[in-house]
Amino acid sequence: MTVLDALQATLADEHAALYTYGVLGARTSQATSPALFDTLTSGYRRHRARRDQLQLMVRDAGGVPVAAEVAYDLDGSLLRPPQLERAGADLEAASTERLLALVAQSTGSVREWALTEATWSAVWRLQLGEAAETWPGAPELDRV
Amino acid sequence: MVPGRSLTRRTTVGTALVAPLLVAACDIDPPSRDNGSVDAAPPPPEDSELVTAVVAALVRALSVVEAATLSVPDLTPLLEPVATAHASHLEVLEGAVADADVPTPPPPRIPPDRAGALTAVRRSEQRLLREVRRGCAGAASGDLARVLASMAASTAQHAAALGDLPAGQEES
Repeated sequence: MTVLDALQATLADEHAALYTYGVLGARTSQATSPALFDTLTSGYRRHRARRDQLQLMVRDAGGVPVAAEVAYDLDGSLLRPPQLERAGADLEAASTERLLALVAQSTGSVREWALTEATWSAVWRLQLGEAAETWPGAPELDRV
Repeated sequence: MVPGRSLTRRTTVGTALVAPLLVAACDIDPPSRDNGSVDAAPPPPEDSELVTAVVAALVRALSVVEAATLSVPDLTPLLEPVATAHASHLEVLEGAVADADVPTPPPPRIPPDRAGALTAVRRSEQRLLREVRRGCAGAASGDLARVLASMAASTAQHAAALGDLPAGQEES
């Protein structure tokens, strides 16, 4: 896998993440769950900026940014705030894993950017109700 | 979906650095190189030095956490997950470092009060985070960079958890 392949794969995941955040936000009441609404809104903005940056990186690497799908399948019931919060946390876990793959495949400024974003996603999981982990993004390193 | 990356503790960084040919044989994608080839040559010396530096930082950070726990036993529930993470990180890396290269840090001086001890731990964790990030950015091995990136993310999570304490809880 080349750096460009890894960037494209990360970008494809970001398209899905943005779609998912949009759905989660749309199903969250700003009036009754303001904290969750703010957390999801902030997450959406971060991922939107991340998508934009990835598109630039793909172009810089000589590629044509992969386009978003029309829609994405979402797992499970996403109706109640705990379900929405958990879905957001799962999304950030997947993002961390993907960005760590980009760290492995890249060097220099791309790696440093991927490291910063992976760290952000891992820390944002705490905002979504999860506890700190020993190996975020690399669960196979945890003891079984 | 993230592609399968089945790096196990059997193929930890320590093993990878000690026996670099195993890296080429394991199923972790190597970092891209200009010619796209998999490099089975021994890892460059700078990675060994880099791992030694991270191990030293981990040992120092762990000593600060342990000293803080001894100084303020009430902090044990809060700091135990941090110590557990550091120990697990050390376990993965220490195989790559000769025993003689693992430093014994001087006993850290920790304030006897809860707020002071927590501040000392927070500063220590930020210092560790900088060292791990530096190691990740500079690693020649993509696998090592990935492991260090996960360590950095974990350290940042734990630091955030410590920082999220309600203000009143930090007072002794």
